[in-house]
Amino acid sequence: MRKTLTILIGIIYSFQAFAVARFPKPDFTSGYQYPNIVHSAPYELFWNILDVVLLVGMMGLVVWAAYRKRSRTIILSMSLVSVLYFGFFRSGCVCSVGSIQNVVTAAVSSDYHLPWYVLLVFLLPIVFALLFGRVFCSGVCPLGALQELVNVRNFRLSRAVSATLTMIPWVYLAFTILYAATRSQFLICRLDPFIGIFRLGGDLGVMSFGIVLLVMSLFIGRPFCQFLCPYGALLSVFSALSWKKLEMTDKGCINCALCSVSCPVDAIRPPQDSKTNEERKKGVKRIILFALLLPVFTLAGSVLVGSQSDALSLAHKDVYLYEMLLRQEAQPELEEPLEVETFHALGGDMEELKAKVDGIRSDYSFYAYLVGALIGFVIGFKLLKLSLKRGRKTYEIDMARCTLCGKCFNYCPQNQSTRYTISNRKTIKNEKTIS
Amino acid sequence: MRKLYRNIAIVTTVFMLALTVMLGVSYYQMQQVSPLETGVMETLKSLNETNGENESLQQQIRELDLLSRKAYFVKEGQLKVGIYLLLGMALVLVVCLNLYYRETKNLPEKEFDPIDEWMAKSRARKYLGWAAAVVALLVIGFVGVQQLDVKGLLARFSEEGALAEVQDEGENSEMSSEGLAEKVDTLGTDSVKGEAADSAEVDDMPELKIASRAFRGNNASATSAARGIATSWNLSAKKNILWQSSIPKHGYNSPVITGRNVFITGADAKARELYCYDVWTGELKWTVKADGIAGSPSSMPKVNADTGLAASTVATNGEEVCAIFATGDVICADMEGKRLWAKNIGQPDNHYGYSSSLLMYGNTLIIQYQNNSNAQILALNTKNGNTAWSKRGNDKISWSSPIIATLGGKTALVVMGNPAIAAYNIGNGSELWRVECMSGEVGSSPTCAGGVVFGASEYAKCVAIDGATGEVLWEASDYLPECSSLAATKDLVFCATSYGMVCAYDAKTGEVKKEHDLTTPFYSSPVVVDGKVYLFSNSGKVYIFSASTFDLITSFDTGEKTFATPAFTDGMMIVRTDKSLYCVKK
Repeated sequence: MRKTLTILIGIIYSFQAFAVARFPKPDFTSGYQYPNIVHSAPYELFWNILDVVLLVGMMGLVVWAAYRKRSRTIILSMSLVSVLYFGFFRSGCVCSVGSIQNVVTAAVSSDYHLPWYVLLVFLLPIVFALLFGRVFCSGVCPLGALQELVNVRNFRLSRAVSATLTMIPWVYLAFTILYAATRSQFLICRLDPFIGIFRLGGDLGVMSFGIVLLVMSLFIGRPFCQFLCPYGALLSVFSALSWKKLEMTDKGCINCALCSVSCPVDAIRPPQDSKTNEERKKGVKRIILFALLLPVFTLAGSVLVGSQSDALSLAHKDVYLYEMLLRQEAQPELEEPLEVETFHALGGDMEELKAKVDGIRSDYSFYAYLVGALIGFVIGFKLLKLSLKRGRKTYEIDMARCTLCGKCFNYCPQNQSTRYTISNRKTIKNEKTIS
Repeated sequence: MRKLYRNIAIVTTVFMLALTVMLGVSYYQMQQVSPLETGVMETLKSLNETNGENESLQQQIRELDLLSRKAYFVKEGQLKVGIYLLLGMALVLVVCLNLYYRETKNLPEKEFDPIDEWMAKSRARKYLGWAAAVVALLVIGFVGVQQLDVKGLLARFSEEGALAEVQDEGENSEMSSEGLAEKVDTLGTDSVKGEAADSAEVDDMPELKIASRAFRGNNASATSAARGIATSWNLSAKKNILWQSSIPKHGYNSPVITGRNVFITGADAKARELYCYDVWTGELKWTVKADGIAGSPSSMPKVNADTGLAASTVATNGEEVCAIFATGDVICADMEGKRLWAKNIGQPDNHYGYSSSLLMYGNTLIIQYQNNSNAQILALNTKNGNTAWSKRGNDKISWSSPIIATLGGKTALVVMGNPAIAAYNIGNGSELWRVECMSGEVGSSPTCAGGVVFGASEYAKCVAIDGATGEVLWEASDYLPECSSLAATKDLVFCATSYGMVCAYDAKTGEVKKEHDLTTPFYSSPVVVDGKVYLFSNSGKVYIFSASTFDLITSFDTGEKTFATPAFTDGMMIVRTDKSLYCVKK
């Protein structure tokens, strides 16, 4: 297996185009005539169709593996294929996570063309989430798959901390929407921590972050998916409403808690009876309070982020250039940045740029209030959700969090009874010895 | 077997860490290296510029160029192999860890302890509430800082606090020099004696907003944004004189101002020194010596008495200040007087003595180093003294100083020498245009107004050049300066000669619009400030003209010989005489 893996990785790398570092031509001519280089158009249509077909096929296989076979082995195999194909071979692009930006940009700009396959790459995982939960996260997303493959043990964070950290993907999503809607930059592509690993090169800081995340993934289940992924945040909403709900076993839960302990993303909720001593009246009051505060949170988020729209707009290259030009005018003794020099060299018109910047800032002002409202609403809603209590008799999967990794299938003794092997016997022996 | 997997995992981890460090160092080194900009390559290229047709030299450059590129790519290849190795090791580590934990992975990781979900939710509510509140407060704080301009308020507050008594004397917002001088005296400062003013109140006096960071002001432009400069003062009666301080060693260089620091240099056969004075008190804050520099000559070069060993004015960017002496020693210090670096750029072969002033553009120090041999323009990094770029040419010796000007919307370096006035890209030294119009001993420096470069020298002519194209607009030779440099507005060009004539040329046509026979020589340069032109004669007589008509507004004698050009800042003028440094303030 290991040999096969090594050979496969070798083959994948051999396909990598080695980017050539740019050097200037020699300073003086030698009479050598540079040949006219003709680039043939890449046959992208084939690869785009293959991407979509593989995406649908792999998600279908994961559904079959999770709902019918309850097999983690098939899901892990999908993860390997995803890392090799979508990750290393296709260099992690186009991915559903990043497609949010294309869709947002296309939604607000009439002049932005959204390719059909990007739209499909964005919509298909959502459709599957509405039907079966976060199938895409399971073994199809190369980012999640890479973390899944390197995971060895699970040291879980406290549930309270973990619940708080799940707000980060929403903030990330909000800013992604802001920057995409204002056509400033594609934040997800810029900060993708694993793209550098798939492409064997990239920004040192982002790559280092990716390596740190991978090292964390050895001992914490999917840290990127849990606490950062904006597309995961989006899918969690659809997944919570999914038509089919995943179950660990079809033979009935015996409340052994093994599945809950095994879950790397803390998505299995334990049975809950009325263990708290809190008065019902107090709980109801809290729910009413948070329900009333929901619009206040939304408004506060909107005002706070909206008030920073000017500072946020510096992420747009034109606004940044304009500020640079103003600074240079105010302090001419400062070294002239290359951007300013280029602006002047190309005969840039300051008035024209100012008009453009005013337009961009006006867009920022609108969208900043909008995404601020989104952040405020999500926080308020989360607080409201954390105030609700629902009784459960057995262990249940929280479909919003579950990434369908299939780990719990192997842990469930009800499933084990049908797959009794020598190795399991050995395990149970060890368990007895320990207890 | 578990032990074996564990040991393999440990060894792999150690190797991975070591390899990561090595790759990190290698990557850093690659980032630092510019393979085509090595010292040898630069030297060969500059030789090629002067010997354009030398085929063997060009072949040598090609070979070195190829070698450098090969070396770079070989190293890049090694880095790539290292990354593959690291990935392979990571794979081994993951497999070993999986095998190591295989037997225990199906066991629960902790004792069964039913989680009190409600408690977890309660805690999560608390954490989330706090996190949201902290972020909201940070944003509100940030907004508050933006709105309130705390820095400005603090500066105003400290200024008001320190000077409240003076302002209460009925001068509205204007501070009188007598009041300030009195205030400084009461604080125990005697600038003439050079005693330290250690009072907190003096320390609280604000930094000045308008700087004068090089010879003849910022960018050596011969103009200043300062306002409210006194038009009369008396050194002996201390009228409109804030302070007067002695200077330890002699020099003809001009003062430079940034923040609350005034910089000048002085030198004699024993030592060469950079001085920093406090702009409010005249206290000598620190001295940095140019000593212990590798390559510095053991004996002083022979220089003319009119030039001396410290004729070049220093330059600063507000963070570093650099000085150069007739020995070719360049030193750079921070604002606290810590010497950052020093180097000798070669003893100048100069029969009068080296006198070109320094100029700074961001972190680049510009040195016009045109001596009898090896004429060049050097750009050094002010952080470490490394050469950013250098431009060699066939120019002859000159004593002129460079300026920075906006030409055709772009910031450029303008250098005047013998035989040309030339503009360069300040970022890399590439020549933008060159007009060969000068001759003889060029000691005057150019100036620029409205995108037009003006230059004049006694042994040549006065020339106006379109800064965007390098086209000569007009030439004149009515009155020409020897040491003094030109100053200009968009309408007039001011010229002071060493034989006592001063005039204003029409900036558009070159026609002499007004002239005055003042019968006293001028080495100091005119500076345009607040609609007036300030000019000092060698004898120390001050002439103040209207900048729009060049009519003489006033003139009076200061009593001290003055060869340096004054520096201007908020309501103040710093003048260096052959004896002292003093501050004029209303």
